Amino acid sequence: MEERDGGAGGFRKETVDRLLRLHFRDGRTRVNGDALLLTAELLKVFVREAAARAARQARAEDLERVDIEHVEKVLPQLLLDF
Amino acid sequence: MAAARPRPAAPGGKRRGASSGGAMEAAGGEERQLLIQRLKAAVHYTVGCLCQDVAEDKDMQFSKQTIAAISEITFRQCENFAKDLEMFARHAKRSTVTAEDVKLLARRSNSLLKYITQKSEELVSSNMEQKERKKKKSSSAKAGRTAEEQEAAVAESEDSNMA
Repeated sequence: MEERDGGAGGFRKETVDRLLRLHFRDGRTRVNGDALLLTAELLKVFVREAAARAARQARAEDLERVDIEHVEKVLPQLLLDF
Repeated sequence: MAAARPRPAAPGGKRRGASSGGAMEAAGGEERQLLIQRLKAAVHYTVGCLCQDVAEDKDMQFSKQTIAAISEITFRQCENFAKDLEMFARHAKRSTVTAEDVKLLARRSNSLLKYITQKSEELVSSNMEQKERKKKKSSSAKAGRTAEEQEAAVAESEDSNMA
């Protein structure tokens, strides 16, 4: 579980750090290393969940291709679950 | 001419003041926009990779618009996460967001909370392992003698064989 690289496995620590700090209201707020890794995991789960649910929706409609409307259908529940 | 220059400086000064204030805001805004574009691109790339994994897993294809949509949604969700995390930390009277704050973020789904808590424990134990390794290194460095270092190296390699 030493994936620092964000390409194949998930988000890079630096990217997550910048993403969070972009939206912090206080300039002094920082994120510690473990929290960054955990947030990266959380985001990875979020993306995979979105993709998997959309795929499930597409398959339920007997399609092989996941399109944006499938994402739209699963989006409300996804956001509630997160 | 010399007199003319400072004169227009008065109304020009106002204009310059306003425009330099505006220019600085615009520059800050531009920088921020640039940062946002770069971050969106980074997110899009990783989302693409993750969707590729899921596509292979489920034997389905994702349209480009789908990946773009998930990427946009993820980017926006980060804003919610960031604001929540900042508030959690502030609520605990801290200015640094910690793992505890992230766990709180994952509270809405039991399985998600369990997963994140498990990851957090893995991190804690790997951090402790790193500290142990550092202690060993620093203690063998303090000893300083070659013989002792060789012994420590042999002991460590034996441990790794046993592990």
